[in-house]
Formats: sequence, C-alpha cells, structure tokens
Amino acid sequence: MIDEQTATGAHGAPYAVYDRPELRDSVSSPAPGGQREVLLGVDGMHCAACVGRIERLLAGRASDVGTSLTSRTLQFRFDPQREPLSALLQSLDDAGFGPQVLAQDAGLRAQRDERRRMLARIGVAVICAMQVMMLAWPSYTSDAEVDAGIAQLLRWAQAVVATPGVLYAGWPFFRGAWLALRERAVNMDVTVAASVAIAYGASLLRTVIGEGEIYYDTATMFVMLLLIGRFVESRTRVQAGERLRRLAGRRRLTAQRESAQGIETVPLSAVAVGDTMLVAPGESVPVDGALLDAAAELDEALLTGESQAVVRRGGERLLAGSLNLGQQGLRMRAESVGAATRLAQITQLLQHAQGERPRFQLLADRLAGAFILTVLALALAGAALWWPDADKSLSVMLAVLVASCPCALSLAIPAATAAAASRLAALGVLTARPEALARLPQVDTVLFDKTGTLTRAELRIAQVETLAEPDEAECLAIAAALERGLAHPIARAFAKLPETRSASAQKQVPGRGVEGVVDGHRYSLGVPADAMTWTTDTAVDTVIELRDERRALARIRLATVVREDAADTIVALLNAGIEVELLTGDGEQAAAALARRLGIRKVHARQTPEQKLARLQALQQEGHVVLAVGDGINDAPFLAAADVSAAMPQGAALAQSRADLLLVGDSLAALMPARQIARQAQRRIRENVTWALAYNLGVLPLAMMGWLAPWMAALGMSLSSLLVVANALRLRVPRSPAAEPLNYLEAH
Amino acid sequence: MEILYVLIPLGIVLVAIAGGILVWAVGSGQYDDLDAQQRRMPD
Repeated sequence: MIDEQTATGAHGAPYAVYDRPELRDSVSSPAPGGQREVLLGVDGMHCAACVGRIERLLAGRASDVGTSLTSRTLQFRFDPQREPLSALLQSLDDAGFGPQVLAQDAGLRAQRDERRRMLARIGVAVICAMQVMMLAWPSYTSDAEVDAGIAQLLRWAQAVVATPGVLYAGWPFFRGAWLALRERAVNMDVTVAASVAIAYGASLLRTVIGEGEIYYDTATMFVMLLLIGRFVESRTRVQAGERLRRLAGRRRLTAQRESAQGIETVPLSAVAVGDTMLVAPGESVPVDGALLDAAAELDEALLTGESQAVVRRGGERLLAGSLNLGQQGLRMRAESVGAATRLAQITQLLQHAQGERPRFQLLADRLAGAFILTVLALALAGAALWWPDADKSLSVMLAVLVASCPCALSLAIPAATAAAASRLAALGVLTARPEALARLPQVDTVLFDKTGTLTRAELRIAQVETLAEPDEAECLAIAAALERGLAHPIARAFAKLPETRSASAQKQVPGRGVEGVVDGHRYSLGVPADAMTWTTDTAVDTVIELRDERRALARIRLATVVREDAADTIVALLNAGIEVELLTGDGEQAAAALARRLGIRKVHARQTPEQKLARLQALQQEGHVVLAVGDGINDAPFLAAADVSAAMPQGAALAQSRADLLLVGDSLAALMPARQIARQAQRRIRENVTWALAYNLGVLPLAMMGWLAPWMAALGMSLSSLLVVANALRLRVPRSPAAEPLNYLEAH
Repeated sequence: MEILYVLIPLGIVLVAIAGGILVWAVGSGQYDDLDAQQRRMPD
C-alpha cells in the first residue's frame, strides 16, 4: 500500500521521494563514471513519433537512452550530481508521458483506470455516432421535403449529441496532438484532431447560422472507429505489460533480520551489508550473502535453471531468489543487497536486452513524421485547389484528411495477429507478443536450453538394485515413506508411489539425505556410503542408497526425463532446414550426451546468462533470425533479445514474462504447426496491408478532385476496415482438415 | 409533425441517460475482466 502512494506517477506527483538514498538502489543501479541507470514504464508512448519526442526531451540530460515500444519502457543513464532523477521524471510527466518507476506496483492500478477510461470513451463514441447518423438521415434521403424548422431542430439535435462524442470521446486525440505540437513535432493525433476539429467546428458555425452542409456524422464516426482500432491494438500490449508488472509486484519486500533485540521483520530496502538474516523453510533468500550454518540445501532453479537441489556449506555464497529446501530455517550474513544482487543484475541485463530489440523502429520513426506532413500538405493543397468556393474547399480538405487516415492499415496487422493467436491458443501456444508472429516464419536457427526445456524438470526412478533381503517393492515403499511431504526434488520423484507405509521422526540432513523410523526400524536414504555427496550434475543419473541400522538395502537410480516430443521436434526442425543449437549451464558431458541422443550437432556447455546472450547476438550479427526456447531466469535475457522466444509453462515467471510465445500445452511439438500458422497470418497481413494502402492511395486523388463527400470517405474507410477484419478472420478456419484432428473426425 | 419538437429532445435525454449508465457501469469495474467471468462459480 505504501508503494502505491509513493509511486502515484501520473499527475503532478512528488517524484522527490525517488532521490532519497534508501530508495535509490531499488530504483536505479550504478553505471560507470558515477552515473546511474534506470528503467521506467512510460504511459502515453504509443507511436514512433512519441519515441522521438522522448529522446529529444532527454537529449543532453541523460545518456544511452533506449526505448521499447513493445513493453512501453524507457531506459537511460543520468548523472545524479548534475540533475536528480526526480527532475527528469517531472519533465517526462510534464510532456504527457507519466513515468512509472517499475519496482513499484502502482502501475497495475493506473493501467486498470486507463482501460476503464478507454472503454467509457468507446461506449460514448458508439452511442453518439449512432444517434448522430440517425438524426442526419433525413438530410441525405429527403432533404427537400423536410420542413425548415424541423431541419434546424435536427441540426441542433446533432450538435448536442455530437458534442460528447467529439470532446469527451475524442479527447485523447486532442491531448496527443497538443502535446506533440508543443514539442514542435507531429504525430498521427495531429491529423485526426485537425479533421475532427474542422468538421465539428465548421458544423457548429453552420448550425448557428442555420444553413450549409454539416459534418457531425463524419466527426463522430471517425472518432469511434479510431478509438476501437487503438483499443484492439493496445490490448495485447497491455496484457504483456501487466504480466511484467504483476511479477514486479510479487517480489519480496520484507525480510527477517536478527539483531540484538531479537528477530525483526524489516523492509528489504533496509537490509544492510553485514546484517544477519533468517530464511524460513520454503521461503526465498532475500539478498546475496554467506551461509552461517554448517550446510543447507537450496533450490536455485529460478536463477540457474538447475532443477536439482544445491548443497551450500558454511561460508559459501547464497543467491537472492533461491529457495530454502531444508526443514529448518537458515541463517546468513548479507553481502550484496538491492541492485547488486545476482538476481537484480540478471533482471537489469534482460531489460537492457529487451530495450534493444526493435530493429525497425528507427525507420518507422522517420516514416511516420514524413507521412503525416505529406497528408497535411495534401489537405491544404486540396483546399487551395477549390479556394474561392469556401464550402467546397472545406469539404475537400475534410475528405482528404479522412480518406488518408490509415484506419484499415492500423487494423490490418492487429486483426490478423489476433485471429492467428486464437488458432495458436487451441494448439497450446499463448501469444504474449503478437509482433513475434511476423518473425516466426523467417526463423532459421533455434536455440534450446536444456534443463526444463528439452528435459523435464522432475526426476524419475529409473532402476532399483536390491542389496539385501527386502525386495524391490518393499524398498521403494520404505523410501517413499521417508521422502513423503518433503519439498526436495528427489522427494518429488517418490511422490507418485502409493502410500503403504508411514515414517516417523523424519529428519533431513542437508547434502546427505533423509532419516526416519518406519515400522520401528531406523532407515536412512541418501548419498551412497562410498561417495562424499551426491552429484548435482543433471547429466549423470543420481544414485541414492537406502540403509537400515546395519547395512545398505538398495541402490535407487534416478534419471532426468527427456521430453517425449523433443526428438521429433528437432528432426522436424532440421528437415525444414533450420539450425538447432543447445545452450546449457550444465557440464560438457551432460550436454553432449543429450545432444547425441536428440541429434543436435552444435552444443555450448557451461554457459552463463551473459554467454548465452553473446552467442545469440553473434548469430543475429551474422544475419540469422533466432528462436530461443527456455525456462529459467538465467534464460530470460536471451529470451528477451531473441527475434522470437518461447518459454515452457513450469519455468520462472520472469522468463515467461519475457517470452513472445508461452507453450502452455507443455509440448515442444506445437512449434512446427505454430510456424505454419504464423506463415498464413503473414500472408493475410500482406493482403490486408496491400488492400489498405491501395484503398488509401486510390481514394486520395478522388478526394482532392472533390468527387468524394466527407461522409463517403468515412463510409469507405469503415467498409475497408470491415473487409480487412473479415479477411483476417478467415485465419480462424483451419485450412487442411488433416492438420486438425477434430475436423477430420467430423468430416468422416 | 410538431410532435417532433418534443420527441427529439426527449430522445436526446434518453440517450444521455443510457450513456450515463454505461459510463457508470464501466467506472464501477463491471467490464474490468471479461475473460474471468465465464470461469466463475455462480454465487
């Protein structure tokens, strides 16, 4: 709750709180030369022209400015000695880009309010447009027969109904245009606001005079269509942004600290280097630091993707974000806090990678400005062409402005990707970032992570070798009883066995195994007597030994499970001419064994997140289009930087929030059909864009020649938009019956 | 056709009421999460 108050970004908020030293490290991280680096969410950044404005605003005050239109984030470095962060935040706010400091969770509420306002505006726009059209109907059909008094009544009625439809519903366009013009820039909002303002203003004047053409219907319909287009387009972006913000909100904010007064709960930001921290069983480690206990078992899957428990001895380093798997709490001394933790560094690395992604953005930036200026020039030229006739020149100017509005163009891509996304969802592939569909068909290299992606995260009992009288079933039943209820990965392998025995006095010994009493006898299950500790290398199968008081009873071999569909998918990818590489944090032996089994030729073992990212960027430099498939936080930076990325459903939430595609069906086999659907979607998009461009270009001369009334331009624009949507919806119908088993059954 | 001088303003008032109800409904959060509603247990 406190965070919501400190982070109410949008309107004239006191940003000074972010300059306070205790918040500094959770807001920004140190950069070379005494500078600090910060990542912000930015509302109100919808187009390439806005990106240009932000960059100009920060020019000279901040360096390394990077923006991501995809996730609406902004990243830059600033010098706190020269200008505090609050001043930069304030000037962004003044320019209409309410900045949100991402570590806080107020963003969610702001987003919800924004969506509500948008829906209310669309509702008002639709109601007003329908009513105005109804009231305008007599003037189109039976102008001559309408009594002069009634005609004037209809004019005033339209004026009244159109006012909220223009001023309230159309407000975002006016605001956007004003903010752009104040910065001496142009964006799409400028042409929209100009045409709506001209149509509405001229009509209002003529309503007062009581004669002449009125264009309330054009103005309201225009606002309505544009609002709907913008809403559809923004919805998928908002969903992706929500995931990221929810994740940020779920982050730990407090920790248990041991002090002279006893154990106290303190905010995470108050933890200082040298503090003694306590981590309860099942809780996550709050900061990086050294273990003070003799030994502890931890799950570092979030950070390294390593699904096996990791044993840390006294004095060894624990990483923030790993889970305490032990039965007891552990004690540690804080060594790195805030932005200096490994978790925070990985997060920063991946946000950096994400910000660099859109390669086409620079071009779009330049084109948008040029296009808008051309349209405005053409509208003025059209008006000048007919000048002495004020009525005609106004109507031509309006027709040009409306006809050149790329409504169908703006729907062409979102409509097709939405339809493709619903087909993909049926296959078990969720599309988090629709832009990725455009790149999926061009993919020529696939990079796979190993643990959790090509192999499953869990262990399986592969073999039981009995060493004494009790038979296999007996040994397994005792082992299952000993492991029951523990959170350890090894315990999960036994969880599926039937519950025939029960254990008492269960005790977990970190790095050794478990002990307990079953049917009056004391047993232990864990590291074989001849080994120091069990190996955590996922390549080699884990062997554990069951012992009673006197001797070893059985050796149980636990193996990692390779996904059933992994081999087939890799063969299919290779057959389609796509290169496959394996990047893993595991050792060479493990990686090579799996690669041999699956037919992967290129293997990179012992990769850090930085190395994975570097390998990916090297491939991209060579011109390859890369699909990355992974699951852990260590994969997140390279997922974020890949041209297309897919994440497995059991993986870390941070990795998922960075992926374009989420394989919720828990199957790699969906990758090939997804590529096929993406290809179809690309074809629809090409058709749609071609049509929309042809329509806009074809209609423009007609409008300039004065052959097109503004209402015709608006109607043509709507029909063109409908056509584009209908074409996109064809994607939802599967093309070949064989590819869809359900349809196949119905056909026979 | 004089009745139109009454009916059209009346129509506008009704539209204003409808629009007002819609804005209230959106503002009170009824349209916040349409996807979740189909999965909710009736209560």
